[in-house]
Amino acid sequence: MKRAITITVNGQEHEEMVENRLLLVDFLRDVINLTGTHVGCSFEGVCGACTVHLDGVPVKSCLMLAVQADGRSITTVEGLAKNGVLSILQQSFTEHHALQCGYCTSGILMNATEFLQSNPSPSEDEIRASLIGNICRCTGYVHIVAAIKTAAQRLAATRLEVAK
Amino acid sequence: MFPAPILEYFRPASVGEATRLLSGGAGENAHIIAGGQSLMQAIKSRLISPDALIDLQDIKALRSIHFDKNGLVIGAMTSYADIASDKRIPAAFAALCDAAGHVGDRQVRNRGTIGGSLCWNYIAACLPPTCLGLSATLELQNAAGRRRMVEARAFLKGPLETDRSSDELLIAIHLGPAAARTGSAYRKWGLVTDALPVVNICVSLEVGADHICREARVALGARSEGPTRVEAAELALRGVRKGDVRAIDAALDAAAEAADYQSDLWADAPYKKVLLRKIGREAVTVAFARASGEVGK
Amino acid sequence: MNAHIRNEGDWVGASVNRKEDRRLTTGQGQYFADKKIPGTLHLVFVRSQQAHARIVSINTDAARALKGVVAVVTGADIRTQIKGLPQPVVVPSFAANYPDFWPLAVDKVKFHGEPVAAVIARDRYVAEDAAALVEIVYDPLPVVTDMEAALAEGAPIVHDGWASNEMFAMNYTGGGTPESEAAHARKVDEALAAAAVVIRRRFRVHRCGVTPLEPRGAMATWDDDGLTAWITTQRPHIDRLALSDVLEIPSDKVRVIAPRDQGGAFGVKAPFYREPILVCHMARVLGRPVRWLETREEHLMSVSQERDQIHNIEIGADASGRIVALRDNAIADNGDGCEGVYWGFVMPFFGAAVLTNAYDIPLCDIRIRVACTNKAVLSPARSFGAFAARFALDRAIDLLARELKIDPADVRRRNLIAELPYTTATGVHHDSGDYAKVFDHLTTLVDLKGFRAEQARSRAEGRHIGIGFSVGAELSGVSSAVLVSMENQPGFGAATVRVDPRGKVQVFEGDAPQGQGHETSMAQVVAQEFGIHPADVSLTTGDTGTTPFGSGTIGARGGSYTVSAVANACRALKSKMATVLLHDLKVEGVPSDVSFRDGRVFLTADPTQGKNFAALAERIVMAPLGLPAGMQAGLDQTEFFEADVPMLTFGAHAAIVEVDPETGIFKILRYVASDDFGTVINPIVVAGQVHGGVVQGLSNTMFEEFVYDENGQQLTATLENYKIANAADMINIESHHEAGSACPHTPLGSRGLGEGIPGPVPAALTNAVCDALAPFGIEVNRLPLRPNTIWRLLQDKAASKG
Ligand SMILES: Cc1cc2nc3c(=O)[nH]c(=O)nc-3n(C[C@H](O)[C@H](O)[C@H](O)COP(=O)(O)OP(=O)(O)OC[C@H]3O[C@@H](n4cnc5c(N)ncnc54)[C@H](O)[C@@H]3O)c2cc1C
Ligand code: FES
Ligand code: FES
Repeated sequence: MKRAITITVNGQEHEEMVENRLLLVDFLRDVINLTGTHVGCSFEGVCGACTVHLDGVPVKSCLMLAVQADGRSITTVEGLAKNGVLSILQQSFTEHHALQCGYCTSGILMNATEFLQSNPSPSEDEIRASLIGNICRCTGYVHIVAAIKTAAQRLAATRLEVAK
Repeated sequence: MFPAPILEYFRPASVGEATRLLSGGAGENAHIIAGGQSLMQAIKSRLISPDALIDLQDIKALRSIHFDKNGLVIGAMTSYADIASDKRIPAAFAALCDAAGHVGDRQVRNRGTIGGSLCWNYIAACLPPTCLGLSATLELQNAAGRRRMVEARAFLKGPLETDRSSDELLIAIHLGPAAARTGSAYRKWGLVTDALPVVNICVSLEVGADHICREARVALGARSEGPTRVEAAELALRGVRKGDVRAIDAALDAAAEAADYQSDLWADAPYKKVLLRKIGREAVTVAFARASGEVGK
Repeated sequence: MNAHIRNEGDWVGASVNRKEDRRLTTGQGQYFADKKIPGTLHLVFVRSQQAHARIVSINTDAARALKGVVAVVTGADIRTQIKGLPQPVVVPSFAANYPDFWPLAVDKVKFHGEPVAAVIARDRYVAEDAAALVEIVYDPLPVVTDMEAALAEGAPIVHDGWASNEMFAMNYTGGGTPESEAAHARKVDEALAAAAVVIRRRFRVHRCGVTPLEPRGAMATWDDDGLTAWITTQRPHIDRLALSDVLEIPSDKVRVIAPRDQGGAFGVKAPFYREPILVCHMARVLGRPVRWLETREEHLMSVSQERDQIHNIEIGADASGRIVALRDNAIADNGDGCEGVYWGFVMPFFGAAVLTNAYDIPLCDIRIRVACTNKAVLSPARSFGAFAARFALDRAIDLLARELKIDPADVRRRNLIAELPYTTATGVHHDSGDYAKVFDHLTTLVDLKGFRAEQARSRAEGRHIGIGFSVGAELSGVSSAVLVSMENQPGFGAATVRVDPRGKVQVFEGDAPQGQGHETSMAQVVAQEFGIHPADVSLTTGDTGTTPFGSGTIGARGGSYTVSAVANACRALKSKMATVLLHDLKVEGVPSDVSFRDGRVFLTADPTQGKNFAALAERIVMAPLGLPAGMQAGLDQTEFFEADVPMLTFGAHAAIVEVDPETGIFKILRYVASDDFGTVINPIVVAGQVHGGVVQGLSNTMFEEFVYDENGQQLTATLENYKIANAADMINIESHHEAGSACPHTPLGSRGLGEGIPGPVPAALTNAVCDALAPFGIEVNRLPLRPNTIWRLLQDKAASKG
């Protein structure tokens, strides 16, 4: 029933013995104590609060077993800021007041971080559609959409800088 | 809510290994897990308590979109996200991209697979009626190495029922060959955007150079009897000219007539027919346009 | 973090980035589930599968036998160990039938989802395994799920020993004796009979609420110091008293801590619920930490269900649209009614009390009856009780306007309370502001005239656009005058402010916010008062061991009461610091001669004479020698703020929609709110409150609904079935507060805001849809407002026209 697994989380390898049935989200929260990833569903997987990157791609960690992530790489919200510097998206969220209680925020940041990589200059409709898998109960989404829009512009500017 | 204890977890690297596990190697109560976007819900709510899971993620061969002499072949483990973003998928099968592109949300589309959707054949699902409307053929394989080709029509039965026998693995979905000037589209309605479909429709049209429909296929899902083709609507669409709103509406009336919907939390049965007409009109219009190469996907 | 002292001292009114956000965007928040204590046992509830049934037997043997299980308890076990509810501390001062209940069902179950047993095990997974092994044999009883049926003769009775299912009834007007009420009702009859136009309608608002994204939880430890409980709660101090009384633990042995970060609450975390009682009790019994973490399913089965009211309205107006009289016979469906503090009925009670909203309605006859049924009890949700009442009245006013062929906006405007203060027929005090101005600003923002012209053009083209209005005069905090009677609790805002010898300021607030940004708003106020930087201010909330007694984060108290207590505490400390400065400088003067700016305290008349804020604090705290005669050392100040009158805040909403009459599918094109928030402390935070509140209202109106089937089975206990609006379903909400005015009853002129924002939404949206479809003449008087409903009404209308 137990199995030794190795998962790279935010660049760091974690070797643990876990039960086959352990959910990935509980592995992150309870086994390696990264509690930034949240849980808002029983089993339906609708709210998106648990969103993490699996090899760079946003997925719901409540709908996966930890053993399924064996040998793979996970990024959680704790992995977004580098050396204490917030990512452009995180910074934009704080500036736009894109969070109130913050419970949805980790999942939204994870989803939107990759979204902006795959669609660097999204329209407002595209931003809204990209957020369907993340329920926010507090903000009414207005500031979240604005924060993602601003981040897209700043990321574009940064890319331009780099290109120069 | 948590899964009941799972005794064994397997991650086969090949189809052969997977089918051997499926035909007894992993015990009686073994389940395949693909994207897990349906199965994990069932496991967490303990509707299903598998003793063993066979995870297909390492079988790279099952995750591909390619063309063979007949048309398009999509590996069972191909994710919705991969399908929705594949620019090579032709107009004839563009309904697949419509469907895959609006399943749930980005996270679900990153994990969920076309094979999982077909094998689960949930009542409110996008891919089963789409594959039906596109006359897909499903390729299955068992431990003895026997490959079997089954038409979607025969494969998809009532909700949560398929023609797959318990030792078979779904390998790929074959589409085509499609006649030139074929276009398809899929549309759905749910209470919130991109929700599980309350009403859905897949339309595939072969259109002549004169913009007249030669051949039509119409499939509906979200029915308590499982996904189905509606021949009355298909018949009615044959001979219809692109843009002939009246004739298109008549065909959709036929579809609505045949649709034996039931009332649920989201819509009552008569209203579902109204919705069907609305989304059907859109699907037919887009399919026509795609058939004549006017719009891409 | 620290502190370039900002030169402009004007923190109040600035869109300061929130102090909370760094930790919350980096995953460093400390929510309930993030707190872990080694050795904690996990409690899982076994909930009733039946809506109404006798418990014949409960077999816990198999569950107990499972490895890792520490205990299994049932109602029969605990009923002799702990007191049940009601207990006075969590009972309002109203006469009502208060059902007896324990944390676990005793003898019978009364709704699908009621806790029947609990398993405590070493981990949650095992606890759930064991819960599945608890065998309960039920003997089903007839089920009642309809409020009107529940009040009818011969209905199945929810609570043993009750003569009927009526839990609470009230007549708000007419004086309180049967004779005076009857006489008053006759007066209303006469006024209605004389009215130029009378609208009589039944309005039905469905069961929905504002489920927060973070579910509930409780964790308790028991040691020599007594009980320490971490609870997802808006009101730790009330929970502490209640736990002390129910568990019969001296109150000095109970400490309740609301986690610093909470994932939303919106009222849902305000009641004193049964689950934490059992968690605390089991921690005591087992001598080990016990934790319960609610699942979403449990949450949707047992809490966050609100609204669920019927209003039978009669409203009469003269030919100009001036309302002359209003009657409402309201009913509410309160489920089993078992819930500390609110008992479910306090919400509909309050909704009926504020029914008249911001309108000047001279004559009212308002009554309510609250029924128990086999459903979960109502628990508070933002727009407390009022959501349904707002819908009913603002729909009725639209119907009145249509009947009179006057623009609904004009009828509304004509009936707004013109002169403040004003007390409604139900005794609600409207304190200050200019309602008409705020409303006029709204009609300007939406360019009502221009819209009407566009609407006419669109109709000619076969497009159906419409506009709908509604208003809300909502709580700006809850005064003791209101709260003592309603909840048996004080309404004051409480805060302790401590200036430390390094010039940093610590604020302690007994409330327990859940996303409102108190850390930032309070810091802005403190920074403004002391002339320092918000980064130098920290806030502690929610811990009964360290914070002053307060009734909790409810009823928009943050921006009204709590912040006022903080401001007053700062002012008291400033006065003291100024006095010391004058004394040390040997200058004659009064504290108001001294300024606090840019991190300095100095004589306004001669800024060179002064001291650094930190140095002055250090001098007073660490070197309390030679202080002015009679002055105590130290810079800690606790203040309890009570406004001299109960306060409200006014807002007006407009929705613009386009409807497809063929399918009833509609699109929201614009949603605009014009509010009076008084002095705004942080505009971006205020906008966020409006956006969130409006979207909750829209989501309630369009998507969310708790559905029970005829057997009382709850069909909507997942987020798949209980649909909440996602980003793609919504648009950018426009929030404006320019037409507001400073509140004269608070030290900063601020008003509380946030609580009531969803209230005007359902009527604004529904009025807009009906306006768009005016040529068809349909009326939507029932929620939820869904395309299906609209289509059906259009069909029925077409059929009736033949
Ligand atoms: C929030 C959310 C929203 C959703 N919205 C939609 C929606 O709008 N439309 C929609 O259609 N679906 C929706 N889904 C369901 C989703 O499409 C699932 O991904 C899909 O139903 C199953 O695919 P899967 O790859 O996840 O399969 P799994 O869940 O892993 O498996 C499903 C079943 O298929 C079997 N199986 C899987 N692959 C094979 C194979 N190759 N051979 C044999 N058996 C196999 C498994 O044993 C299991 O019984 C939603 C899901 C979620 C969580
Ligand atoms: S907890 Fe994973 S989607 Fe809600
Ligand atoms: S900020 Fe609270 S749920 Fe999004």
